[in-house]
Amino acid sequence: MKELRTLFPYIRRYGWSYFFGVLCLALTSGSQILIPQFLRVAVDLITSGRFELGRIAALMAGLLGVSVAIAAGRFGWRSFINGSAMKIERELRARLFDKFTELQPSFFSRSQIGDLMARSTNDMNAIRMAASMAIVALFDGLFMTVAILIILFAQQPGIAAVAIIPLPLITMMTLFLGKVVRTMFRRVQEGFSDLSHQTQEIFSGVRIVKSFVKEGYFLSRFRGANEEYQARNMRLIRVWGLFFPVVTFLAGLMTLILLRFGGEAVITGGLSAGEFVATLSYLEMLIWPMLGAGFTVNLFQRGAASLARVNAILNEEPEIRSPERPVATMPSSAISIRGLSYLYDGGEELALRGVSFDVPEGSILGILGRTGAGKSTLLRLLLRMQNPPRGTVFIGGVDVLDYDLKTLRSAFGVVPQDTFLFSDTIRANIGFALDEPDEQFVRHVADVSTISRDIRILPNGWDTQVGERGVTLSGGQKQRVAISRALAKDPAILVFDDALSAVDTETEELILRQLLTERRGRTSIIVSHRVSTLATADRIAVLDQGRLIQYGPHEQLVREEGFYREIAMLQQLAQSRAPHEKD
Amino acid sequence: MEEEKIISGYDPAIMRRLLGYTRPYRVLVIGALVSLAIATSADLLLPVVIQRAVDRHLVARYTRIPREFADLDELREVDVAEAVALSEAVYVQDDELVALSGVMRRRLVEEGILEEVGYYVFRYDDATIRAFDGRFEELAVDLGTHDGEPWASIRAEALNQLPADVRRVVRDADIEGLRRTTRLFLVLLVSVLGFTFSQLYLMALAGQGVMKDLRLELFDHTLHQRLGHLSQHPIGRLVTRVTNDAETVNRLFTEVIINLISNVAKMVGSIAAIMLLNWRLGLVTLATLPPVLLLTLFFRGRAREAFRRVRLYVSRINAYLSEHLSGMAVVQLFAREARARREFNGKNDELMRANLGEMYVFAVFRPLIDLLSSTSIAVIVYFGAHFLLRGLVSLGVLIAFINLIRRFYRPVMAISEQFTIVQSAMAGSERVFAMLDDTDRIPDEGSVDRLISGQIDFERVWFAYKEGEPVIRDLSFSIEPGETIAVVGYTGAGKTTIANLLTRLWDIDEGSIRLDGVDIRQYPLQRLRTIVQPVQQDVFLFSDTIRNNITLGLDLSDERVKRIARMVQADAFIERLPRKYDTPLTEGATNISTGERQLLSFARILAHDPRIIIMDEATANIDTETEQLIQHAVQTVMENRTAVVIAHRLSTIKNADRILVLAEGRLVEEGAHDQLIAAGGIYYNLYRLQYQESPQT
Repeated sequence: MKELRTLFPYIRRYGWSYFFGVLCLALTSGSQILIPQFLRVAVDLITSGRFELGRIAALMAGLLGVSVAIAAGRFGWRSFINGSAMKIERELRARLFDKFTELQPSFFSRSQIGDLMARSTNDMNAIRMAASMAIVALFDGLFMTVAILIILFAQQPGIAAVAIIPLPLITMMTLFLGKVVRTMFRRVQEGFSDLSHQTQEIFSGVRIVKSFVKEGYFLSRFRGANEEYQARNMRLIRVWGLFFPVVTFLAGLMTLILLRFGGEAVITGGLSAGEFVATLSYLEMLIWPMLGAGFTVNLFQRGAASLARVNAILNEEPEIRSPERPVATMPSSAISIRGLSYLYDGGEELALRGVSFDVPEGSILGILGRTGAGKSTLLRLLLRMQNPPRGTVFIGGVDVLDYDLKTLRSAFGVVPQDTFLFSDTIRANIGFALDEPDEQFVRHVADVSTISRDIRILPNGWDTQVGERGVTLSGGQKQRVAISRALAKDPAILVFDDALSAVDTETEELILRQLLTERRGRTSIIVSHRVSTLATADRIAVLDQGRLIQYGPHEQLVREEGFYREIAMLQQLAQSRAPHEKD
Repeated sequence: MEEEKIISGYDPAIMRRLLGYTRPYRVLVIGALVSLAIATSADLLLPVVIQRAVDRHLVARYTRIPREFADLDELREVDVAEAVALSEAVYVQDDELVALSGVMRRRLVEEGILEEVGYYVFRYDDATIRAFDGRFEELAVDLGTHDGEPWASIRAEALNQLPADVRRVVRDADIEGLRRTTRLFLVLLVSVLGFTFSQLYLMALAGQGVMKDLRLELFDHTLHQRLGHLSQHPIGRLVTRVTNDAETVNRLFTEVIINLISNVAKMVGSIAAIMLLNWRLGLVTLATLPPVLLLTLFFRGRAREAFRRVRLYVSRINAYLSEHLSGMAVVQLFAREARARREFNGKNDELMRANLGEMYVFAVFRPLIDLLSSTSIAVIVYFGAHFLLRGLVSLGVLIAFINLIRRFYRPVMAISEQFTIVQSAMAGSERVFAMLDDTDRIPDEGSVDRLISGQIDFERVWFAYKEGEPVIRDLSFSIEPGETIAVVGYTGAGKTTIANLLTRLWDIDEGSIRLDGVDIRQYPLQRLRTIVQPVQQDVFLFSDTIRNNITLGLDLSDERVKRIARMVQADAFIERLPRKYDTPLTEGATNISTGERQLLSFARILAHDPRIIIMDEATANIDTETEQLIQHAVQTVMENRTAVVIAHRLSTIKNADRILVLAEGRLVEEGAHDQLIAAGGIYYNLYRLQYQESPQT
């Protein structure tokens, strides 16, 4: 519950709103308490048998006036309090997203997307409820309970004392059943997730199921989980289904007690008929606050738990951030790696061991190495997607750690190994890096990656939606969009991470040729498995198990005994005889 | 996920179809409805019981009719059986006089037939007289015998001035009556409790049953769909249909339909009770109700629109979040954090505005409904008082009306909120039924059933996963029974597809595939798939025990399972596991090694003992020791069977009787290893590149 304190600053920001909200709430509750009094006077007048109809009319006009005040008050507190809570929710959600944009990739690889989503949606709902309905129920409940009890005891202490006996039972039941139901509800949810999990697994393995003709067997397994889930649901309903009927019953008991003892008082003259009717109304008005007490506790608890989960992320320190006095301009794009060794958090073996090399401004570096040789790590450190040790990675003579992050990253155009496009138009995806993409240049870079050929035949051309809600592009098409996206910002340094794996050889050659013309005189880094690609680089770095084992121009490396030459020979052989590969 | 239809209008066809699912649970549904009827009636009787108590016992008041008028024709309407006849006059309880019309009553009062002042009559004995403390003679207006006992009457005013203890004695009968009423009230309360619960429980049982059946049907339906069809749908969406969407159908039953019936019953019931209690005041009350109807109709449209907007923006923000959380690295690489924040804030603001919009709809509607409820009460009290003055209505009835009209208004709010649930449940049901209606299975019409020797023929087979992109082109080859064939080729050459076609996971487009000379479509699907079974490259194991992963539900003895495990030498590692054959595998079988997973898949094949196997060899790196085990297991599995191996291991290829080389879906070379090497074609290249111990991974 302590977590709720972190909500105070937000609530304070909407302090006036909350103040007026509570005022409206007081108006509502206060007016509600008046209603039975109107009825009391009216009924007493009527019982007396001697009254002017005008007086009844006046009383009912008063009742209507108060009802209008109640309606206005209700509208008021809903707007003020619920409205503020929604604004608080928006603010928290925006802050959460801001934090997401600051957090480093390692944070995302150790978190589950589903969980992060839940914090931005379900948890936000719980917080909103705590900041609105829980507060309302707390104030309203306290005010109504105290006020009504005072009135009841002032008027008829004896009868009030007996009639309210069932009330605490309602609260106790809410609290007690709340606990039991929570456990049972969790069991139901577990049953549901087991069912989902089984379904997911069997659907994923549907090939095996079909190949071995096991539809029947898995159907019976599913049936088991399905029945278990139903059984758990019914167990919950057996308890939860009793809740409201029992509350109604207890409320009915109050009426019963009033009827029995209040009725006798009316007969013997201790209570007027009007007072009897008013007491009946008051007792009814007490039921909700009593029920609400249990719910309020529940809402606050859930809100606190959710707030804790959200705060856990808000308090996360971004590992990668601009230094205090950042270097905001990049003097040149010459890259220099100095004795770079790197060990991942929790890793056992060094991912990079004492790697040193230089990429002069305007030159092309090729990188070759097997999976796990350290290529990706090297690129990540260069881009500061992970922090390199100080004094190991320099661009333009400045340690990458000293750059303003935006300056550093803006210098790069990256074509990552795994292509990730956003659900947007092709045009927007290519112009992703730019605020106002230059139409002409965007078309030009689409030509370079040859994606322009494909755009022509897409349903809506440049405005074709791609991704989950649009056209599904092939792997090769995606890669070529990603190449255009990186080129569109005309970056000082182009990083090309084995990004043509899904493109056929012929197209690959074409793209590379155009790319080299495009990048003439600009710094570029190209990771590739294909020697034909690497041959175009000024220098090639060969990595193996985190070590730089060979370094030099293609001509030199093919002459040297070693890994590069082996690969080159093998691929030459294949090239000469194999038919073209397709994606 | 695409933006799915969030809400849907009420569709009677869908509703009818849903109701069809309740057929097996008819008894439960009827039980629930009966319970509902009893609970609702008992609930509505409560205010009536209070009314009776108030009129008969609390404010009991009698009107005096002098003896000589008691037999007047005008009084025929009044039930005199309940009246108390004393020596000078007849005393009739006031609520009995309600039967008289207002005009008639005024005339009777004016003519002095009905007295205007109120009286009270009571049975008395010595104790009563003693309680009066000597004033009995003075206060008792009229004495007489009623039902063989002495009774007296007293003016109501005089009675009300007596001390409480005297009144208690005088009104002993009323207090006794109150006790009886209280007991009746308790009985009603208990029945409401019991029947409300039984209604809830029975309906839940039925709803859960329907959901269970629907889920099973969905699951079964999906499992029998063509693999090609299934691969077009993300698994997540299929799972959602079976789980979440089926759940909304349950909600439709347990939350919507029954509540709707119950709420409508309550509303209709309170109106009926109102009309039965007093039709005059009832008509006045009815006149106050049309605004509720109009307001609800108007609100319904607004609420639906507001709800739709909220759901729409929630799904937009979810889509944006899930995409950007997965692609945050790209956002950061391109230094586009600021723009992402801007976009997110835009969506976030839209969502808030939608939320606010929905809030305002409810913030207006609910207080207005309450205001209307108060208006009805005010009107009831005013006209009630008016009628009461003319003796047309009793106080108890007035109180009952106030109570009943509150009961009428209570469900209005609930019903209006159920609109939105109906809409989303309708959309859910629509999706579920759309899935059930979309049947796309591999036709299973074959009937050939005979022993199979294992001869396979592909003849001019064409096949494409996607139209216009053939993967297999004009492929023909034959395999003799018991032969071991290695299929090699570059990635994408169509090797894996052969396995899919032979087991009819996909059906070919042209040509024919024959098994022992008979087209495979002539065999029953189940028979075919028992004859031809695949060993897959990526071993799929279920999170179940080792034993069940081997048997997949086959009824095999422990001995047999152990013997099979021994045959593929999987017994050694299984025996080392904590619970041996009963050790549960984790999801993705991460608790055993890749090699061990392979061994299990071999054991699985041996347990099912197919005539023909199609083995897609794994390329994963496996430690030398396990590698040897696997090689041995492969040999065991292939023994005495026709085997097609999509080969990656040199040893497998070398041991094969024949090698088929595929390129772009065509058969380009065929022969034994040495033969093909000597030929120096594609195989020779492949061999050098992929199968020789090359440094490239």
